[in-house]
Amino acid sequence: MHWWFPGDGNAYSTLGGKIDDLFYLILVIVSVTFVGTSAALGYALWRGASIKSDEKVWFSHGSHSLEVIWTIVPSAVLLFIALYQLDVWAEYRMKGFAKEKDGSPKVITVVAEVTARQFEWRIRYPANGKPLKPTPQPDDIYSVNELHVPTGGLVSITLRTDDVQHAFFVPMLRVKQDAVPGKMIPVWFDATMPGKYEMLCAELCGWGHYKMKAMLVAQSADDFEAWKDKASAEQFDDGYRKPAE
Amino acid sequence: MNLGCGNGPQAVFKYRPTTDDLIPEANKAVTKTLTDDFGTPEALVAWERFPINYGGVKGTVASTEGPSGSITVALEGDSSKISKNASLLWVSGSQAGGKSAETNVKGFNVETKTLQLASGSSTPSVGDRFVVGFGEDMQLGRVVYMKNCMHCHGVTGDGNGPTGKFLNPRPRDYRNGKFKFTSTQSQEKATRDDLHRIIQYGIPGTYMPSFLLLGERETTAVVEYVRWLAIRGEFEKRFVEELTNDYSQTAIKDSTDKAEKSYLEKKKNKEEAEKPLNLSKAIKAAGTAFKKYVDDKELDGAVEETANLLASAWTQAETPEVLIIPTSQRVEDTLESRERGRLLYMSNTTKCYTCHGPTGRGDGAATEDFWDKPGTSVKYPNRGLHDEWGNPLKPRNLTSGQYRGGRRPLDLFRRIRAGIKGTPMPAFGDTVLKEPQVWDIVNYVMSLPYQPKQPTAVKHPAEVVANNEEKPAN
Repeated sequence: MHWWFPGDGNAYSTLGGKIDDLFYLILVIVSVTFVGTSAALGYALWRGASIKSDEKVWFSHGSHSLEVIWTIVPSAVLLFIALYQLDVWAEYRMKGFAKEKDGSPKVITVVAEVTARQFEWRIRYPANGKPLKPTPQPDDIYSVNELHVPTGGLVSITLRTDDVQHAFFVPMLRVKQDAVPGKMIPVWFDATMPGKYEMLCAELCGWGHYKMKAMLVAQSADDFEAWKDKASAEQFDDGYRKPAE
Repeated sequence: MNLGCGNGPQAVFKYRPTTDDLIPEANKAVTKTLTDDFGTPEALVAWERFPINYGGVKGTVASTEGPSGSITVALEGDSSKISKNASLLWVSGSQAGGKSAETNVKGFNVETKTLQLASGSSTPSVGDRFVVGFGEDMQLGRVVYMKNCMHCHGVTGDGNGPTGKFLNPRPRDYRNGKFKFTSTQSQEKATRDDLHRIIQYGIPGTYMPSFLLLGERETTAVVEYVRWLAIRGEFEKRFVEELTNDYSQTAIKDSTDKAEKSYLEKKKNKEEAEKPLNLSKAIKAAGTAFKKYVDDKELDGAVEETANLLASAWTQAETPEVLIIPTSQRVEDTLESRERGRLLYMSNTTKCYTCHGPTGRGDGAATEDFWDKPGTSVKYPNRGLHDEWGNPLKPRNLTSGQYRGGRRPLDLFRRIRAGIKGTPMPAFGDTVLKEPQVWDIVNYVMSLPYQPKQPTAVKHPAEVVANNEEKPAN
C-alpha cells in the first residue's frame, strides 16, 4: 500500500507512521470531495444538455441554503483536520520542550550540530560522554555529509546554516525542517531501525542544490559510541606508526 | 551535455594565452601535438607514457587451442570488469599497432578463463598481450567531471568554469600541476590519496563541497581524470615555455622594437647601422627558423623531454619515499608544549606571526604590504599576499577552527613540513625545525580556536585553562 512513498514505503520513525496516517486521511477527504464534485459537475452538464425545450429551468444562482451548505461543510472539514492533526504537530514541534506526563524531564539525546552550506552538510558531534556545547570544543568530532544517530529514543540535532536557506530532509523518517540563517533550530526525531537513510536539502539553495545529498546513519547506541571513538581516533591521528620490529 | 533547454556549448580544451601568442607555425605545431596526444573532450587520447589508470583489464594469451575464436588467457586484474562487447586492444604480437589491433569481446568464461573473440578476428599467438575495455575508467571520469566539477573548474581544468569567476577563493587551476593540500614533500606532486580525500571531504572554508556519496568507482575515476588534466595542462605550459622566447609574437615584437630603437639611436649619432627587419618580416623569419627547429628534431626532443619530466614526477608522487610521515609521536598536548610552540610561532626562525598575526587571526603585517609579482619587479595592485595563480590570498585565521587541508594533527604537521604548494606558506622541511618543535607548533595552533576572546600578551597558563573551561571562544 505504501509503495509510492520514499524508500521502501515504510516510515522508520515513530512519528512518521502518524504523519502517514494524516496523509491518508487528507487523501481520503480530498478524493471523496474530488469524485463528488466531479460527479455533480458531470450530472449538471449531462442534465443541461438533455433538457427538453418545454421543460422549466431551475436557477440555483443566489440560493441562500446552497451557499450556507457549501460554506459550513468545508469549514467543518477543515476545522476537523486542524484539530485532528494538532497532536502530531505538537509532538513534532513543541513536545520536545515540554516535560513528560509524570513531570520528569523529557529524555532527548542531543546528537550533533548540523550546519548546511552551499553545497554540503557539516556536522559536529560532542565527544563521547559529553554534552553538545553551542560553540566548538577541542574534543568535538567532525564529519561531513554523514550524520550518525543512535536508534531507540528521541534524538535531537541543532540545525544551522552558514549561508542561505536550506532544508534538512530525511524522507524515510518523514522529517523536514528549514535551516534559516542566523537561527539554531532544534529538530528532534527517532529512527526505529538501524540503517542508512537518504538525507537531502529540500529548499532550492543555489545552482548546486542537487549536490546536497547526504546520508543519515542510524546505529544502535553501542555502535554509535564505537563509531564516535573510531572517528575521534582518526581525527586526532598524528600519522605516527610504530615501525615493525 | 544539456544545459537548460537545448544543447549547451560544445566542450573544448581551451589553450593558454601563451599558446595563442605563438607565431602561426609554432602554434600549429603545439596544438597539433596536444590534440594528437591528449585529444579533445569528445575524443580523449590516452598517452600511455603517463602514470594514469586509463582503465581496462590487461592480460596475456596463454593458449590458443580450442574452438576457433576462443583463447585461454591469464588476466592481471578484476575479470568482473569485462563486459560483453567490450573492445579488446592488442598491445604486443603480430596484430599490435596494425589494422586488426582492435576487436570486440563476445564473452568471458571465468571458470575456464576463456575469452570468446568476435567472429572474424584473427587468432593471436601465445604470449601476445592485450587490454580489454581500455579507457573505460577515463571515460567514466570524464562523465563524472563534466557533471560535478566542470561548473567551477572548467573543461580544461583552468578554474574558469561558468561559476568559477563568482567564487572567492577561486577554484583551483590544475594546469600548472600543483595542488595545495598534499601529503608529499614540498617539491612533489599530489598523490591519488590526497585528491581522493579532497573529493570525499571537500575543503571547508572554500566552495569545494564534499562528494562523499559519489561512489568509490566514480571517485577513483575522476581522480585519474583530474590527474590527467593536470598533466595535460602542465605539458602545455612547459612545452610552450620552451618556445616562448624564440617563437612568440610578443617576444618577436619586443626584439624588433628594441632593434628599431637602437637603429634610430645609431642613426641619430650618425653611426653606421643596418636597418632591422620590420615585425611581419621578423615573424616570417622566425617561421623559417621554426621549420629548421622542427627539421632538426628539436621539437620532438622538447615533447619527449617534457613528457619524461611529467611522467617521472607523477610516478614519483606515488612512491612511499615522498610521503611525509612523522617519525615520532605527537608531543603530548601540554601547556608547556603549547608555550614552546607559541615562542617558536613568534620567533624569527619561523616568522609565522608576520602573516598569521601575533594572535593567529591571519592579520600579520605581511597582509598590509604590497608584494612583487613572482619573477618581476612589478607590484600587485592590491595589498596583501597572493598565490601562484595570482589570486589574492589571506593567511589562515588560525582561531576560526577551520582547516582547509584537514584537521588531523598529521595534516597540520604536513602543512608545516611541506608548506602549502603554490602559496607563500613556506616548507620548513626537517632542518629548520626539529620534529618535536613542529609538534609544539601544531599543539599551539590547535589550541588557538579555544583561547579566550581577548588574549593578552602574557598570561599565566593556569588562567588560560580556567577561562577556557568556563566560556569557550568561538
